[in-house]
Amino acid sequence: MSKNFFEIINGHFVASEKNKVNKVNLKIEKQGDIVSLLGPSGVGKTTILRTIAGLQKISSGEIYLKNKIISSDSFHLEPEKRNIALSFQDNSLFPNYKVIDNINFGKKRFNGNRTILNANDIIKLLHIDPILEKFPHQISAGEAQRVSLARSIMSKPDLLLLDEPFSNIDQSLKDEIQYSVKNLLKEIGLTTILVTHDSFEAFSIADKCGIILNQELKQYDVPYNVHHEPNSIDVANFLNKGIFIDVRVIDSECAVHRLKHDELGEIRGKLSNNFTSGSKVKLLLQPEDLIHDDQSNLKLDVVDRKFRGTNFIYTLKTKKGEHLPVFVHSHHIHQHEKNEKFGIKTPIFIDHLVCF
Amino acid sequence: MTRYNIWFYISLFIAGIVALPIITVFFSFFSETSNYFTLLKNTFLFDYINNSLIILVSVLVITFFIGVISAYFVSFYDFPFSNFFSWSLILAFAIPGYIFGFSIIAFFENYGTAYTILTNLFGEHNYNPLIPKFDSLVGSIIAISFSLFPYVFVLTRSSFLFQSNNYIEVGKNLGLTEKETFLKIILPSARPAIIAGLALVSMECLSDFGTVSFFSVNTLTTGIYNSWLSYDDLNTANQISFILLIFILLLFSVELYSRREAKYHQPSRGFKPINKIRLTGKKSIIPFLFCLTIFFISFVFPVTQMIFWTVKFPKYFQDIDILKINLNTLYLVGLASIFLVFISLLINFGSRISKSKILNYLTNFSISGYAIPGVILAVAFITFFSNLSDLITNNFNIGNTKNLFIGSISGLILAYFVRFFSLSFNGIKSSYEKINNSIDESAYLLGYSKVKTFSKIHVPYLKNNIILIVVLISLEVIKELPITMILRPFNFETFATQAFVYASQDLLEAAALPSLFLIGWSTILILFSTKYILSPKN
Repeated sequence: MSKNFFEIINGHFVASEKNKVNKVNLKIEKQGDIVSLLGPSGVGKTTILRTIAGLQKISSGEIYLKNKIISSDSFHLEPEKRNIALSFQDNSLFPNYKVIDNINFGKKRFNGNRTILNANDIIKLLHIDPILEKFPHQISAGEAQRVSLARSIMSKPDLLLLDEPFSNIDQSLKDEIQYSVKNLLKEIGLTTILVTHDSFEAFSIADKCGIILNQELKQYDVPYNVHHEPNSIDVANFLNKGIFIDVRVIDSECAVHRLKHDELGEIRGKLSNNFTSGSKVKLLLQPEDLIHDDQSNLKLDVVDRKFRGTNFIYTLKTKKGEHLPVFVHSHHIHQHEKNEKFGIKTPIFIDHLVCF
Repeated sequence: MTRYNIWFYISLFIAGIVALPIITVFFSFFSETSNYFTLLKNTFLFDYINNSLIILVSVLVITFFIGVISAYFVSFYDFPFSNFFSWSLILAFAIPGYIFGFSIIAFFENYGTAYTILTNLFGEHNYNPLIPKFDSLVGSIIAISFSLFPYVFVLTRSSFLFQSNNYIEVGKNLGLTEKETFLKIILPSARPAIIAGLALVSMECLSDFGTVSFFSVNTLTTGIYNSWLSYDDLNTANQISFILLIFILLLFSVELYSRREAKYHQPSRGFKPINKIRLTGKKSIIPFLFCLTIFFISFVFPVTQMIFWTVKFPKYFQDIDILKINLNTLYLVGLASIFLVFISLLINFGSRISKSKILNYLTNFSISGYAIPGVILAVAFITFFSNLSDLITNNFNIGNTKNLFIGSISGLILAYFVRFFSLSFNGIKSSYEKINNSIDESAYLLGYSKVKTFSKIHVPYLKNNIILIVVLISLEVIKELPITMILRPFNFETFATQAFVYASQDLLEAAALPSLFLIGWSTILILFSTKYILSPKN
């Protein structure tokens, strides 16, 4: 028996030969938590959601919701009896009903969560009010997504599943909607599993974040840890914010651990994994780790510069041919052109030394 | 989910019913293998095949030209009344070939309508030698052609309409003249639609019984009918059926093939509707006159002829119980519609929720019924149920069960079901497939059971489509002749049978009133359905 609000034990999820996820163990301890599942397209995230919703059977393993088993090898609770809402990625609104009627379809379920929900609040929050009287074919994909979200929330489910819920929403509205949806879900204490391939979205909304890669749930942790302490090279590569450089461990016993890179010199910080002194390892170097300093003696060649609005990302080249990314604030007084020298503050200090 | 669930058995049962006539014909053909030669000699089989093929080829040529040219005019040019013609040419569907045949004979016969007109215009004279007379073969060809060309017209026109203007503009950009654009770009891309239209024409033409029978042309269908009726020889009838079915099967595969190919010609994203070329003055005369002539011959002429006779011989209003016939027709239409729509919805729903491949094959087989000519269907039904009845009587000592399906409404409805199941099944399926699967799943997740999803979401969505299907079924049932003729209860008349019975007794004047009613109802139904098809929403 599970003591958690929701739990998957040893779940195997199969949609096709290629599209499957094995041995998933995932817990949501208390009601109201938001969990995001992050992974590349086609990895099987949607399959997991559909299985939790009961639209597909689980290959093996068990799924519990509120201490009751809902899926196992031998048992399958029909989707209409689970009280789990799923907001689909594509438009799944009932074509012959107006937007408002679609939203109200959800209201008819009474066995759910007792929280009193006000349809008007949700409609306002999701900016649906101007299109209430329209039919699904008359609204845009982004609008349809918001309506579908409203319908799912209005059905007062025990568990809400969101499949790429913001993928079609305009960039200008996205941040606001993400923010207000998160607040709403927290306010009404609706436990949610959200699937996305956008790490920003996953990190900003979720309490916990699962990374699915190569048919496995690789890491399941709070977003901060997933970002700063990825537990494998695969996860770090997928999040794709940094590169790996070859370093040697000089000291792993003292309070401050020390590594050495041929060109960058000494790098200090705290190792997240244990390595003995002298071992050769790969260090994850993220753009925010190196700090620009024109006065520094450590200088590298600039090979590329990208303007990202709030910051620049400079790419520096070492003699060995490694390309190091470095953030520089957008307002930084001057810019460095290609092939110019670029100074880096020494000694280098990085909070989390992620090495493999 | 198990593969052999309830939906499987229902589909199997329906496929079985549709297969009845085909299996019966097949068995009859191979049960007596001794006398093929006598069969050929005695039944003038070569004659039948020869006539059927002559009619088929001629009808194909005529319908191709009339259908494609008129579709081209109304799709690409804007000339006086072009919008009117774009739907009014479809009205020819309201006139079955045999009624068109009555009109031709009535007009051109000695002392017929043409004679009356000439006398009124130029005074008394023997005009009979001046008025052209039609050979019965030519008469059949003209009558069938004008009643079937809308198949080519409708399909070609919709393919023209869905042709993106982009291609035409590219053609012009590459320096093609208007004629070259038509021959090299427009016509080739409409080819699958044209072939599909011609395939339908062929099947209907080979199935035609009323027209050829009225003109006394010996074809395969009249051969089947006569073997049954005149010689009471069901075996021979079924053997001729077998030969006709082989022809039909060939055409059926052509039709399926062309339809598959048509999928690749669907408009893509950059679809731009055609800009019609505006024609004024002299240039507009040719398309206008062409369409007007076709409309006049195919619709105005037979309707006027029937009205003329109905008014000229009012006594048939008393002789014919027209109210009764109206009610009979309504009765058949109602029963057939309810039965067909209900089963079609059921099967569609079943294959939607069980997603089994076997089920798909079975339903695909079940819709092949529309390819079986009515005459074959009816004769095969009689054969099957007589044999079944004999079997039951011999083994179980129960009285005659034959009458349950032969000469009864239930048999008639069952035969309609086989013939028109594809119409209603495909009609509902095409709309059903537009409902995304995630819509069903959303409903389940909102707590709706499968049955409730069906009644709350599917049926309301399909409502308009169902109405259209009922209209189309009604149209077919009203016009249907051979099945009704052969399987109806004694003295049970529809417009079609009443008109045909009078006409074959040489009482053409009497046939006018039921014909007129048939045309009237059909016209209303066609107008209703074209409004649906042509409305921008669909």
